Amino acid sequence: MNTKQQNDVETIDMATDIAVIGGGYVGLKAASQISENGYNVILAPHNDTDVNFSRLNVPSTEIDRLKALEKEVADNTNVEILPASTLVEATGVPGNFTLKFLSADTVVEKKAGAVVVASDTAVNPLNHIYGLNPAANVVSLSELENLLASEETKKEIQTGEKTVAFLVGFAHEGSPVLMKRILNSVSEIVGLDGCSAYVYVNNIKVADDGLERLYKQCRDNGAIYFKLEKAPTVKQENESLTVSFHDPVIRKDIELNPDIIVYEESLTADEANLCLAETLRIDLGPMGFLQKENVHRLPVSSNREGIFVVGSARDVQSLSKSFADVDNMVLRVKQLIGDGTKSIPAKAVVDREKCTICLTCYRCCPHGAISWDDKAIISSVACQGCGICASECPMDAIQLVDFTDDEMADRIKEAAAVTAANTPKIVAFCCQNSAYEAGLAAKAFNYELPAGLQLIKVPCAGKIDIHYILDALVEGADGVLVLACHHGNCKSESGNTYAQWRINDAYRKLAQVGIEKDRLEFATLASNMASGFARIVIDMEKRIGQKKD
Amino acid sequence: MIVAERKPFDEIKESIQDYKKVLVVGCGTCVAVCLTGGEKEVGVLSAELKLSQKAESAPAVFGEATVQRQCDFEFLDEIKDIVGEYDALLSMACGAGIQFLAERYPEIPVFPAVDTTFIGVNKDVGWYEERCRACGSCALAMTGGICPVTMCAKSLFNGPCGGTNQGSCEINKDQPCAWYMIHERLSKQGRLDNIMKICPPNDWRNQTPQTLIQPGYEERIESSK
Ligand code: SF4
Ligand code: SF4
Ligand code: SF4
Ligand code: SF4
Repeated sequence: MNTKQQNDVETIDMATDIAVIGGGYVGLKAASQISENGYNVILAPHNDTDVNFSRLNVPSTEIDRLKALEKEVADNTNVEILPASTLVEATGVPGNFTLKFLSADTVVEKKAGAVVVASDTAVNPLNHIYGLNPAANVVSLSELENLLASEETKKEIQTGEKTVAFLVGFAHEGSPVLMKRILNSVSEIVGLDGCSAYVYVNNIKVADDGLERLYKQCRDNGAIYFKLEKAPTVKQENESLTVSFHDPVIRKDIELNPDIIVYEESLTADEANLCLAETLRIDLGPMGFLQKENVHRLPVSSNREGIFVVGSARDVQSLSKSFADVDNMVLRVKQLIGDGTKSIPAKAVVDREKCTICLTCYRCCPHGAISWDDKAIISSVACQGCGICASECPMDAIQLVDFTDDEMADRIKEAAAVTAANTPKIVAFCCQNSAYEAGLAAKAFNYELPAGLQLIKVPCAGKIDIHYILDALVEGADGVLVLACHHGNCKSESGNTYAQWRINDAYRKLAQVGIEKDRLEFATLASNMASGFARIVIDMEKRIGQKKD
Repeated sequence: MIVAERKPFDEIKESIQDYKKVLVVGCGTCVAVCLTGGEKEVGVLSAELKLSQKAESAPAVFGEATVQRQCDFEFLDEIKDIVGEYDALLSMACGAGIQFLAERYPEIPVFPAVDTTFIGVNKDVGWYEERCRACGSCALAMTGGICPVTMCAKSLFNGPCGGTNQGSCEINKDQPCAWYMIHERLSKQGRLDNIMKICPPNDWRNQTPQTLIQPGYEERIESSK
């Protein structure tokens, strides 16, 4: 084990250019707001800067504002736009990323202090599910929105006194974001003199601000809803359209001939997210979005410091929520980059003499904080002090400044030495974000706890080295508990998973040396689970106490 | 890198059972990188030994030391002042390192704590695959950089044999046919004429390439599949 301990405070020069990836409306907003705060922006739209503003729940009243935003960004001398660009390489650490973009067939290298990912959503027309071919009178929701956005085409709809049929929710689950767009269009149609709207709908998603009201308002203004179990049959013969279905209310088969059919679309994560995740070494979350379901990531963090995910890069989001993301992101950028210098104490240090550059730490660090020259290097800005690297390093070459191996060894020795007459000695390694709090609460609330229980605080369950577990038993503990955060709740994403793997490895080892399995236990807790904590430790005491007698 | 695997605990324990003072010696290079015999594993093995001896009345004493490389006398010299305190050495280096340790300290019995398995590559943390059998006359120039000794079940130098089966080896469908791979690579590089040249065959025991996954990383690898 290592005795070396450094308390160096590093002063780091942070690049004050911020890269924004994605040129949709959220990307533009991000670029504009970052530059307002005095940083230069490198704006890297995926393929083009043309934004289909109607796409995402943008009321027509907002479109002018967004067009103005687009112009403002284009004219802003502090925003450099790399047209049609793809991120191909990203190296470095927060405050000093080096990014390579392929932009219009040339490779452009840029330095950036932070990276903001603002990818768009992909819009997928679902006409095929209804057996429809796109035509002048068979349009997607986005197309209808475009028609309604232009005064000229809107007039055509009105003078034609069109009947518009909307097909909603039969082809996919849908979402409030989409529902709002549909209802906005329905509202516009019924607002046009002589036009009418029929909405064929399966599940109505109204779980968002004002949606229920909008739904009713459309009905009051004349929209007719048919709530159906299954999709109506739709026939498209030349220009003529027929929608037939069984109306469950009047219990009759009905056939209607709308002038226009509007089919739904689904919103999914941008396909580019996959490559972005790999290049930026950030986690891919559910459904291809760029944020894991983990409370510690909210609202705009990725697993790497200095890489932020906003708007539809992290979920299907409305315009207002995406803009709230941008506000949050700007705060985080300011916190991180400040005026360009940062003094930060190291949380973890590498003993360069011991490091054998096996790359284990680099591969295991969930925060992408490790790089190397001829030895491993930990970025103080990026490191979150979880200790996963330290527990995995085969040379014990990494020490956490606040939890060195020597201090931990002393702590283990002390804890295992405490005796209480006739009761088993239990050493519980507790993650400070959950189980340690739960343990303190259990004491404060006077839960019954084993007399021989000793808690050892660790910064994250990922810091619980298999060596610590064996050591506790060597030093005389009768039982060892490893208590981590619940799955999906670990601040370092996988600290609890590493701890679980090590426990399983320890079981194999204990079986070989002839120690019963129930002397070691892994469990997960939340910080408010005082009673859960008490139950786990009492159970262990009972179990191994019986063995002692 | 040389890849080694920890020996079963019982075998290690039995080999040193007659000794009361044992120094566990790690190696800070190949076997550290494959997570078998670096400083951490030295600590873990001594802890296991101590645990298994706890019940005994006069438990043995276990010391720990890790040198940069056990295949260099200079590094082995670094422990010369402490080896005298022990009556056995337990080496966690590869077979070469163990032999060199025994050669450097011939008066003290040396025991292996690992099985040296192969020369291989690092696929992920805890996951290694064999790539070379150190045959002594490397054929890679002819074979598009794919080793016929290691990757071909019969170590044919002029393959494939009649058992090649749509990209798989006849011994096992999951085992790719080395010569199929060699053909594909050479053809991509426009060097197929290489395959027509005669390579004098080597006379090696037939072996299939081996993979070692550290037991402690099985779940990691399973979960990343
Ligand atoms: S895990 Fe340890 S030995 Fe390996 S590169 Fe990192 S610091 Fe060096
Ligand atoms: S302590 Fe955690 S965050 Fe810091 S370098 Fe190690 S693994 Fe990464
Ligand atoms: S002794 Fe073996 S394991 Fe150690 S460095 Fe030398 S070859 Fe590698
Ligand atoms: S032919 Fe194969 S076994 Fe022989 S030296 Fe080359 S890689 Fe190694």
